[in-house]
Amino acid sequence: MILDVIERSLRQPSRLIPVEALLGNCDGSRMPDVVVDHLTPDIARKLSEVCPTMAFGIEAQEGRDCLRLSYGRCIGCGRCMEAGQGCVIAAKHFHWCGVTKAQTVRFWDIDGRAEITPHAPNPQDTRGQIPSLLQRALNIRQLDAGSCNGCEAEITALTNPYYDLERFGIHFVASPKHADMLLVTGPVTRNMADAVRATYEAVPAPKLVVAVGACGCSGGIFAGSHAIVGAVDAVIPVDGYIPGCPPTPSMLASGVLEVLRRRLAR
Amino acid sequence: MTGQTPPFPERKREGAAIEIPRTENGSPARLVTIFGSLDVKGGKRAHYIFDVGQQRYAEVALPADRPLLSLARRAPAAAWYERELQDQYGIEIVGHPDPRPLIFHDNWPDGVHPMVDPVDGVPWANRDYRFLEVQGEGIAEVAVGPVHAGIIEPGHFRFSVVGDTVLNLELRHFYTHKGVEKRFEGSSVTDGVLLAESVSGDNCFAHAVCYSQAVENACAIDVPAQASAVRLIGLELERLVCHISDVGGLCADVGFSVAAAYAARIKESLLQASAQCCGTRYWRGIAVPGGLRHDLDSGKVLELSQEVERAHREFSDIARLILETPSIQNRFEKAGILRPEAARDLAVVGVVARSSGVDLDVRRDHPYGRYEHHSFEIPVTDYGDVMARANIRIAEAATSARLIEEAARSLPAGAVSVPFRADGEMRGSSAVESPRGELWYWMETRDGRLARCHIKSPSFQNWPAMPFAVAGNIIADFPLINKSFNLSYSGCDR
Repeated sequence: MILDVIERSLRQPSRLIPVEALLGNCDGSRMPDVVVDHLTPDIARKLSEVCPTMAFGIEAQEGRDCLRLSYGRCIGCGRCMEAGQGCVIAAKHFHWCGVTKAQTVRFWDIDGRAEITPHAPNPQDTRGQIPSLLQRALNIRQLDAGSCNGCEAEITALTNPYYDLERFGIHFVASPKHADMLLVTGPVTRNMADAVRATYEAVPAPKLVVAVGACGCSGGIFAGSHAIVGAVDAVIPVDGYIPGCPPTPSMLASGVLEVLRRRLAR
Repeated sequence: MTGQTPPFPERKREGAAIEIPRTENGSPARLVTIFGSLDVKGGKRAHYIFDVGQQRYAEVALPADRPLLSLARRAPAAAWYERELQDQYGIEIVGHPDPRPLIFHDNWPDGVHPMVDPVDGVPWANRDYRFLEVQGEGIAEVAVGPVHAGIIEPGHFRFSVVGDTVLNLELRHFYTHKGVEKRFEGSSVTDGVLLAESVSGDNCFAHAVCYSQAVENACAIDVPAQASAVRLIGLELERLVCHISDVGGLCADVGFSVAAAYAARIKESLLQASAQCCGTRYWRGIAVPGGLRHDLDSGKVLELSQEVERAHREFSDIARLILETPSIQNRFEKAGILRPEAARDLAVVGVVARSSGVDLDVRRDHPYGRYEHHSFEIPVTDYGDVMARANIRIAEAATSARLIEEAARSLPAGAVSVPFRADGEMRGSSAVESPRGELWYWMETRDGRLARCHIKSPSFQNWPAMPFAVAGNIIADFPLINKSFNLSYSGCDR
């Protein structure tokens, strides 16, 4: 009976995860981090070989051979952690959600064993501005441009009692016409390209677009397929990127708040 | 009252046809899937797979460079598969009741078939697509999608209604078609599992295991007992999570948000326990051909199983209360009835089949892994409505929780993977009972790389049954009926 269900529900302790614990959390995502002390040319080469989506690669930066890690391409398969002999570990904190495309890419000087990323995000930024962020409401329209539904499952989790995105004044709305932000998942398939453009057009300006997941950021495992057009930014302008395959609810929440913060800082 | 314009004239032409195999008791065997492939010389082949009982799948293969006679009039379940053959391979199907393109939409040019033609820089076209027109006084058309009001995958539904009542529902899917089967071509056998995992995100472990088993069958290797046991735990956990989520989703669709939030909380606790146990919330990157990627700590597996036990106790308690609620009974009962005859004709699988009187479960009918070491009941009912599907899910969740507990308690020790060699030409197939029903993979290698990998997805099989369950209901009940089927768009579209 309805009242019994409500009674059971009221007897439950709160499961709400405080916002401080959400930001930067990436448990269960298997996003890689590089322990630069263990980096050797041999390991760098091996990493770029085992990575199925070329998230790891070797590139010259300022005339030096660098290990590149593009989080937007990473599908979290974990092969690098096996091949990296301690040089690659699962990230403990993850600050690359909701950032610009340039910021999702990290570089390490292989010989100098040092990170030389030109556009690093500042993890303190969002944390310091939580109070001002929470004074505003945000309406999000989620748009599946061709995803495998893994990202949808995690976005749906944002509304469960652990994450409860509504506490930040963030709502998922049914129509793009009511939305401030489009949260776009999946590589944009050929069959969805028109619908993605039309949905973007229907959102009133000013609007924010966030590309979600490896597929949304880069095409992920499907990059190059004849049936897809490409990443989200191949079809509509994107303001922020949330890597992961799929990104966990914590990463999604962090990313949405970071995009919002960057918007307000403009 | 309803006059239908026949959009497609009957064509009279000759074509090759197959005999439908029969099961031991003489009835026509259930169609599992139809798919195309190319032989070494580039000749087209069509493969028809049937479930002939006695734990056997039978394959009938035909050369397909000449036209094939449509099977769809004899076995309606063949209709979408044959349209896919036309789209992918350009195999001509003669006498098909609905030969419209299926997987490619208006922007794809006629005459380009990705499995045989080059696919670089395919030009954008503007083809015509005709929906079925239902005409008559007072009949209105309601078009929904591909972008839906909610956090859902895209697909198009065209309802013909009189007032609130749906006369006809026409589906148009494949918006999330990513060309996965083509992507397998040329990939290494080890990399293939990454694609398989990305076919349907919430069933990724079933896809990974099914693909891996197909490779293992091709190489004739047995995975170690511990790997099989862990796979069983992962598969049953995926089913449990899926069924809990579905029962919560059904509550959400009738406005019972407290119960929906309760189920969402239980589901989340299981995902977090999974992350603790194996490092990922949805068991991605665990199953690989040959066994498992890495060992799982047996203590952590036990902790997971304790969490499962606790979560299921809470779920079965709340599920009972939900189903005792009169307003829930009022909405669930007699809504979206799929009759047993329609279920059989369309060869539906999974929960949808078992709710409409079709007694079918791969775990029992074509056992794999360690399922033969466990005994379990397969719940079947023939009411075929939303309530029946909810009841079957709740019963199956109990079985899954028990199987996880049994497997975790007696986890065998030892290695978790065996080496294998994928060289030369191999073929293998495998079936898994995914949370949505029978999942079936077929793979073929040449020179050690994948030449073809076909995925029979339960959603592809079940979607054509949806309109039969929706007709006669009010349009406002569609989301509920749709949720009770719980089909994957991406899994269908691939």
